[in-house]
Amino acid sequence: METTTPTSIAPGIIYALGTIAVWVAFFLILTVANALGAIIAKTPDSDPSRTRIRIATQTVSGILLFLSGVKTTHAFEKEGFKFPLTWFVMPWTAWVATFALIFSIIRLAQALTGITAAEKASAWKSCIIGVIIAAGMVYLYRLDEANKITILSGGIPMSLGKLLFFLALAVLAVQGMALTANSAKARGWGKLVVTQLTLIAGSVIFGIPFVFLLVTSFKEDIDMSSKNGIVWIPKVTDTVQYFNEDPSKKHYEVEFNGRTVEALVMKEVNGQYQMDTFKPMSIRGTTFFVDKDKVKEVPVNARVYTTEFNGKEITGFERENLEDGRKILRIMSPADQKGKEITVLPDKVTPVRHVGLRVQNYPEALDYMPPETYTGLVYLKNTLILVILGVIGTITGSSVVAYGFSRMKFPGREKLFTILLATMMLPGAVTLLPQFLIFRTLGWIDTLYPLWVPAFFGSAFNIFLLRQFFSQIPMELEDAAKIDGCSYFRTFSEIMIPQIKPALAVIAIWTFLGAWNNFMGPLIYINSPENMPLSYALQLFKGDRSNEPGLLMAFTSLTCIPVIALFFAAQKYFIEGVTLSGLGGR
Amino acid sequence: MRSRFWVKFVAATAVAASLLMSVSSSAQSGNQPSTNQKKQEIVLWGISLGPDSKGEDSVIRAFERLNPDYKVKLLGMGAGQMDPQKLMTSIVGNVAPDVIKQDRFTISDWASRGAFLSLDDYLKRDTGKDPLCPSPDQYYPSTWAEATYGGKVFAIPTGADNRILYWNKKVFRSKAKELTAAGLDPNRPPQTWNEVLAYSKVLTEFDKNGNLKRAGFMPNFGNSFLYMYAFQNNANFLSPDGRTCTMNTPEAREALEFMVKGYDIIGGYETAERFKSGFQGGENDCFATGQVVMKIDGDWILNNLARYAPDLDFAGAPPPVPDDRFYKRGRFVNEKETFVTWVGGFSYAIPRGARNTDGAWKLIKFMTSTEGRLIEYTAQAEWERQRGRVFMPRQLAQRIANEEAAKRFRPASPAYAQAVNTHTDMAKYSKIRPATMVGQLLWAEQVRAMEAACYKKSTPEKALKDAQTTVQRELDAFYSKEKRPIVDLKIPMYIGAITLVIFIATFVGIFKKANLGKLEKHEAKAAYWFVSPWVFGFLLLIIGPMVASLFFSFTQWDVLNEARWVGTKNYEDIFTTDWSMVSKALSNAAYLAGVGVPLGLFTGLSVALILNSAARGIRFYRTIFYMPSIVPVIGSAVLWTWVLTPDAGKGLINAYWNQTLTPWLNIPLPGWLTSAEWCKPALLVQGLWGAGGGMVLWLAGLKGVSTTLYEAASIDGADSTRQFWSITFPQLSPLVFFNMVMGFIGALQEFDRMYVMRPTLDGPIGPDDSMLTPVFLLFNNGFAYFKMGYASALAWFIFAIVLVVTFIQFKFKDRWVYTETK
Repeated sequence: METTTPTSIAPGIIYALGTIAVWVAFFLILTVANALGAIIAKTPDSDPSRTRIRIATQTVSGILLFLSGVKTTHAFEKEGFKFPLTWFVMPWTAWVATFALIFSIIRLAQALTGITAAEKASAWKSCIIGVIIAAGMVYLYRLDEANKITILSGGIPMSLGKLLFFLALAVLAVQGMALTANSAKARGWGKLVVTQLTLIAGSVIFGIPFVFLLVTSFKEDIDMSSKNGIVWIPKVTDTVQYFNEDPSKKHYEVEFNGRTVEALVMKEVNGQYQMDTFKPMSIRGTTFFVDKDKVKEVPVNARVYTTEFNGKEITGFERENLEDGRKILRIMSPADQKGKEITVLPDKVTPVRHVGLRVQNYPEALDYMPPETYTGLVYLKNTLILVILGVIGTITGSSVVAYGFSRMKFPGREKLFTILLATMMLPGAVTLLPQFLIFRTLGWIDTLYPLWVPAFFGSAFNIFLLRQFFSQIPMELEDAAKIDGCSYFRTFSEIMIPQIKPALAVIAIWTFLGAWNNFMGPLIYINSPENMPLSYALQLFKGDRSNEPGLLMAFTSLTCIPVIALFFAAQKYFIEGVTLSGLGGR
Repeated sequence: MRSRFWVKFVAATAVAASLLMSVSSSAQSGNQPSTNQKKQEIVLWGISLGPDSKGEDSVIRAFERLNPDYKVKLLGMGAGQMDPQKLMTSIVGNVAPDVIKQDRFTISDWASRGAFLSLDDYLKRDTGKDPLCPSPDQYYPSTWAEATYGGKVFAIPTGADNRILYWNKKVFRSKAKELTAAGLDPNRPPQTWNEVLAYSKVLTEFDKNGNLKRAGFMPNFGNSFLYMYAFQNNANFLSPDGRTCTMNTPEAREALEFMVKGYDIIGGYETAERFKSGFQGGENDCFATGQVVMKIDGDWILNNLARYAPDLDFAGAPPPVPDDRFYKRGRFVNEKETFVTWVGGFSYAIPRGARNTDGAWKLIKFMTSTEGRLIEYTAQAEWERQRGRVFMPRQLAQRIANEEAAKRFRPASPAYAQAVNTHTDMAKYSKIRPATMVGQLLWAEQVRAMEAACYKKSTPEKALKDAQTTVQRELDAFYSKEKRPIVDLKIPMYIGAITLVIFIATFVGIFKKANLGKLEKHEAKAAYWFVSPWVFGFLLLIIGPMVASLFFSFTQWDVLNEARWVGTKNYEDIFTTDWSMVSKALSNAAYLAGVGVPLGLFTGLSVALILNSAARGIRFYRTIFYMPSIVPVIGSAVLWTWVLTPDAGKGLINAYWNQTLTPWLNIPLPGWLTSAEWCKPALLVQGLWGAGGGMVLWLAGLKGVSTTLYEAASIDGADSTRQFWSITFPQLSPLVFFNMVMGFIGALQEFDRMYVMRPTLDGPIGPDDSMLTPVFLLFNNGFAYFKMGYASALAWFIFAIVLVVTFIQFKFKDRWVYTETK
């Protein structure tokens, strides 16, 4: 580890060599097994005498390598066998130097054993280049005194049985490969199995964050952190409903500002109750007065726990959670103690849980949204406004302009189009600040206008793309319309537009994604919750609720679901969109 | 199929839109109960309601009862850590709130820019007439001073948060033997820097993998920062006249060196950050559980401690000071004060452009008055009492209210009472951060310097020097402002108008010269209508802003005040005083582009190659691999922040790392986003998840490669590797090229995920600025500080780099990109 000093590099290298020896030994054993298999199967092209010699030498060298590796890596010491592993922690300069050196050595060998002169010359050339690169990297490495190489040594702990199992699996795989090498049909199958296995492994890697997102959004808080790794199967705690006898802890449902809230009674003043809101969370802590007959008591959902009490296991629900973490349980079973209450320490109780999804995370997440956003609906509304107007604007703006550029002749067309292409190079950063000032002059700060109005002017990339599409449409179609006396606009809208629908669909989808994802725009222009779109709201929510992953992931899923739904509904256009231009998105 | 998709799409959006419109219209009508119609609204930013702000809620309700004409609207806006960018944008955009609860040390900063209203007129008007009107003699002098700038009052202080040392007596006792053996007294807290380090050395424990189990003392955990240690060593970050930044002095260096030493004892900053990421709240508070034995913190921690650990055996003590100060040696021979700490706190201010200034002032007066403060504390105490909790009175800047509160709400528990008293006692020895217009920058830079030094990315001297240069540049810009000529901001408009005229004239000229027939003329006129939306957008949103931006880049302008002509100074700054930041941003972008883009291409291409050879299930796999790339950026960033959590019990990656690599090779868990070393790899991993988007493109490209080429090759005896390099890759090379160019340009402009994923909101962007990108730098300069001139120069600098990158890549294109014509 970090304590490794330069003096301990040598044992590290010995360990690394030992590791390589063990790995090579295993590889040799595999090939021996393979060769043996070939003999047993009596494959026609094997030459038995040469194979036997090969097997003998490989077995001997394999065993020797294995033993030396085991010796240097102490692979059999103390707790059973470990399969040795080594890793070099070094800066990239050292890595490049190492690879360049290895490359040079290979090329050197090729240069020495090469047959034709040309082959030798090219090998020498690249060998020398490799050495030069390595030297340069070593020089760079030595420039920074803080650079150091650390060799990590360790191993994968394995029992002998496990080891034999993996070995057998490897032998089987090699055998399978050898077998498939001999028949075309088997080769097809082998290929299928290998590609499918690789793809499944890949899908798991790509899919797991999704699963993690969804599973986390359905987990209870106690499952968020676990010593044994990630909890993949969410569980929910059993609850029972009961009415609290303690007046200060009774839950009431009451109307407040036109919505139903849950609240506690703080005190009674002049025949009115002073209520303390605890649900929805967004107005938690708000106090208000209400007439006594306007409140309705609702049951409390109490969690069920088991604990050991007087040597017997008992089940009870949590009647009260004391400030110091202790809980008052009211016993539910065994029957003879039912109704009795005990106070227990938090680490002495286990919640009674069953496999299930904690769906409440979703409504609770929405509960935290500021009241003026109507549990987040206003965010969705704003995002939809941006998306719908953005899509309409981009499609109309870009297609009109593209039509003008592709199908109509006018002086200066080429010059204008060159300017249009040039603007594609311009990073948005250059116009960011002045645009802000323009929208400020218009009084558009804290409104949605700056985020969708520009879409109607068309975007250079989309215009460029649509122009290609318009150009592919045969002129005859248009000419026919012109002869019929169609105006330019009618020709455009009734004849040309239907021809490029697939391209428009793709642009619609891109714009949809772009508008849904837009984050910097709202960050700059929007201040009040009433005008925020989902992307910005999610970022603020993350800041507020970073300690409640369940709620956070629930809200994240909610913001992603519409996009993913659209993807499934219009998958074809998504995929086509990427390939359509031959350029692939932006 | 196509038409059906459109029908569905349009129908669905129409239904959704109408539904939402109805929701919003009903929302609006429901929003205005008849009684509220005449009420004036006071918008207050910075307070969010919750169980800990019961008191503030009551004061506001009391205010509304006393002043029935007013209605107070609260917006949290990330309460407590008010984002300066949001406030500045709202002031500049004329949609400012009426009252803002603002960190006091930033007041002079905002005041100097004219962003806050001076309260002098109101104070003059009401002093002696309104008993609620605040007066300086009611306040602790340092807190009042912090809220003034240039002799004018800009805010009314609320709290007075000073920092003291909290130490866990129980852990001290359990380690009594070891402490005694080391010559330390286990019954008293450390009083000097060397002592606290010695105590920390004994108290700190590691597990066998080198992870922290218990930290004796983390210099910057809790709330101390470089400021406190610097104050203790008599360092001032600013000269008395406020014109020179003096961060890089021996005094400040010693303070920073002390912090570095403190981190060395607990295994370095990385280790400490990793340890910190596992901390929990509530009853598992790290100080209550003894995971952290000593920390410097403010009195806000007492409420939670009292709630979850009422019997905790701890004490408060003055923060340890330099040994020389304690023993009155060396520089400190004539020093009177032995212990020193620092004080901060919030205040209420009225932003410029507030619509309801009279109401705002009324509200501020009421909330800061003795009466208001006591209403607040009484309500909070009552609420806590009902829940069986104790109420811990926080220190107030208003002396009379503070003394009264101390009398009324003294905690019953001796330990807590002692801690509260220690805070009160230290109030006299509390220093404030310099009241200067570079206050926020000074703050951000001291955090930056501290991180750079503690991460060992830089020596304390160099870190402080960099910080000093940055701050000095700002000071110079401010004080030399008067010498710079004021420029008329109409000039860019004139330039724009002239450009427009030239543009139109050119086209009229072209039109005239073309000498068109009647029909052609007709067509051309129609065509101009067709292309007019883009031309309009181009003139208004592209060429106009470009001209303006170029013009601004030669000025110094903060939008609120007049602009000054500074010539090429902004461009010079990029390469001189700000180069440490700019180069960091560029190197981050270069890393993300240089490693990330090829890695992404490689992943996409290899997935596509495997998928292309698969006979079955291609649609299914394609969906799976493609989906991550369409997950909304912010959603992905939020998800990955959780996936990359360093705590092995929580984070997806570290949970499995902890079960494999750690036991196999003894590799400690990476800190990912919280660590300077792992931050960029973390961003790469997240980026790779979306590499499936490129895969679809490769797949299409592969399908486009003619099979006859492969057939011919296999007849010639080429193996699959050979086929790939001789056929597949050359055929795909135009795509590879295009994606490289776009990827590099994209990396320069990355912003969204960095903004969301950075672990702290203020100070450096990511640990040791490892998430800073060029556009992030531009955003911060432009929208957080409204340095329009410098930000514009940065924008053009980025543009130049984009051009160069594109040019170079096109230059090298011919070397390896295959084109049909060859």
